[in-house]
Amino acid sequence: MDFPFPEYNLQYMLPEIFLFVWALVVISFDLLSKRNNGSTTGYLTLFGIAIAGLLLGLVGNGKGFGKMFINDNVAVFFKVIFLGAAFMAVGSSFGVMQKKIVNHRGEFYALLLMSTTGMMFLSSSQELLSIYLGLELTTIPLFAMAAFYKDDKLSVESGIKYFIIGAFSSALMVYGMSFLYGLTGSTDLAQMKVAFFKTHLQFGDMGIVMILALIMLAAGIGFKLALPPFHQWAPDVYEGAPTPVAAFLSVGSKGAGLIAFAKIFVDGLYAYHSPDMAPNDWGMLIGILAIAAMVLGNVLAIRQTNIKRMLAYSSIAQAGYIMIGMVALSASGIASVGFYLFIYLFANMGAFAAVAVFEDMTGSCQIKSYAGLARTSPFFSAVMAVFLLSLAGIPPLAGFLAKYYVFASVVDVAQRSADSSWMYWMVGIGLLTTVFALFYYANVIKVMFFSPETSPYKVEAPLPAKAVLAIGVIGVLLFGLYPEPILQFATGISSSLHFMP
Amino acid sequence: MFYYLALAAMLFSIGLFGVLTRRNTIGILMSLELMFNAANINFVAFNKFIVTDGLTGQIFAMFIIAVAAAEAALGLAIVLLIYRNWRGIDTEHYNVMKW
Amino acid sequence: MEHQISSAFWVLSFVILTSAILLVSLKNVFHCALFMVLCLFSVAGIFILLDAEFLAAAQVLIYVGAVSILMIFAIMLTNNLTNRVIKQTNENGLVSLFVCLSFAVGAIMLISKTHSWNYRANELGHDNSLILGKYLMTEFMLPFEVISVLLLAAMIGAIALARKERS
Repeated sequence: MDFPFPEYNLQYMLPEIFLFVWALVVISFDLLSKRNNGSTTGYLTLFGIAIAGLLLGLVGNGKGFGKMFINDNVAVFFKVIFLGAAFMAVGSSFGVMQKKIVNHRGEFYALLLMSTTGMMFLSSSQELLSIYLGLELTTIPLFAMAAFYKDDKLSVESGIKYFIIGAFSSALMVYGMSFLYGLTGSTDLAQMKVAFFKTHLQFGDMGIVMILALIMLAAGIGFKLALPPFHQWAPDVYEGAPTPVAAFLSVGSKGAGLIAFAKIFVDGLYAYHSPDMAPNDWGMLIGILAIAAMVLGNVLAIRQTNIKRMLAYSSIAQAGYIMIGMVALSASGIASVGFYLFIYLFANMGAFAAVAVFEDMTGSCQIKSYAGLARTSPFFSAVMAVFLLSLAGIPPLAGFLAKYYVFASVVDVAQRSADSSWMYWMVGIGLLTTVFALFYYANVIKVMFFSPETSPYKVEAPLPAKAVLAIGVIGVLLFGLYPEPILQFATGISSSLHFMP
Repeated sequence: MFYYLALAAMLFSIGLFGVLTRRNTIGILMSLELMFNAANINFVAFNKFIVTDGLTGQIFAMFIIAVAAAEAALGLAIVLLIYRNWRGIDTEHYNVMKW
Repeated sequence: MEHQISSAFWVLSFVILTSAILLVSLKNVFHCALFMVLCLFSVAGIFILLDAEFLAAAQVLIYVGAVSILMIFAIMLTNNLTNRVIKQTNENGLVSLFVCLSFAVGAIMLISKTHSWNYRANELGHDNSLILGKYLMTEFMLPFEVISVLLLAAMIGAIALARKERS
């Protein structure tokens, strides 16, 4: 055997390399500046993320390191989302840095950058080993960041819970991957598809152990996505973790789970449904999970009194809506998933940033302490209301379009395929749950605007947090009225995943 | 090969049992290591009997070992934090929020 | 084609399963850690049976050498009374036992019913550490670099968390 060195093509992974190097720069700067000005470190991090975004725009599509790294439309799309999430999380963290995290600011930002690097690497991977490593590189810094208030019991608790759940889910995932490797003889997704067909021709089926592998993989990724029945950890972790970390978790790590899911199940195993299972059977399994997520998330969110817990349950429900787009298993379905995630980035990061600003002011996350806020800080309350209404899916805002495209893609598939009445049921239940969702989002708005007493607080946001809020509002409003560019960008995804027409 | 896979399955479910029932956080960590090892046995067994061209299985197992070691280090750091906050590391200490 | 199952396999798997069961059921955490060492050491033995010599060495070095020492240190740092006998399992023990037993039985049944393994005519040869190294430097170079980033991240995180602050 000879071992040729692969073509490195390092230029395609410039953004990742830059982010990693920048993480080291941030740590060194924080150490050299004697840890006394947190906001400079933060601005440095923001600058690095912006540069990485620029680099991402400059590098084209291509492959590097043999089959290990591929920069295609899916990868670029998700990388934009991850960089955006990191940017907004860092932007909303300045208040926290001033008050609570005094000692390890550089480490905090470096871990965040490394986690982002992991997500970007994950979205470029075409192979089980690099998917696994990408997920681990995403989550391992997040374990530490969730526990970053070292004297706060809630934060430490959320750290250990997230750690145990994360390690447990990757154990499940790896066990499932080992069977996939045994059955197909490869960890490369493209070769796996070929092997599925070969094995199918040779033996007539893939072997019953495939079910075990699929269940293990789905459970492992389900934990990361917080899909029921694997959702219990999410509210606790979101409540205890520092708010910018919770925000980053809700968009970044969810996106990471989603891309892993899309790569393994939609792209890699799509070949498997055609011979042995109809695509619908497989889609129905995801559909049941999605329905469970929508119903459970929205119903449980109603009773929450803590706004971070409420947003956690709402993010479980949002994951359900996203998975509906996956059910369609069509090009338009994947495009709608991408669009949804992009809008969700603005609305959810914005809502978490607003919560973070308010928490820095008052130290409270209870919904009732928002009472009468509209009288003292009308602008802030209006911004918060815009985010919540977009999450609920109210028409002029982008959240509505996102939900519309997801549901439309499923209806489109349902019309074309026979025996698809369950898809209509799913859409019906989904629409019904949005009504529940409106109830608890509107409750916060009611407390802010129509409460009789006047709030004792006047919200003053630091400059970067203001910028983040502005980005969020502009994103939600602009793409609600003018969605074409994002839609086009998202449609590009499906050309990189290999679908039947 | 069946015997190796069966051994791995049993080891995996013992680890699963440990994760579900241990009250000591370090006990949970040790059970997690068992689950990772079960996956490793699977990978190496497949590499020996089925996928004999290439060593992907062994390499995957090696990466799992390394990641598990990194995870263990970070987990024990969090365990130390738990100990400082509660003076004990049983799971009931930190279950102040409802599941 | 069935591999000749040696008596070494039976001895090793007996040791692995016994020590694993003891690990999850013993009351004293310190003893549990010792059984973890025994269990993972025998897994290294299984690796040797499967012609993965380098992995066996890595297993001994990393798990038996590093991780278990780490565990034992953590136990000693955190348990104020190492010998105190307390109940180590929580109340849902019976349910979990049922779940895990059914998982084991189900998984083994699924494995035994699967016939579509693509067995190759030849088995993997001995002495493949050299080839392993070559693979790591060529085909799997990028994951190799990524895991170094991962280890660095874990190290930074662990230090930032475990460090005592001067107030």
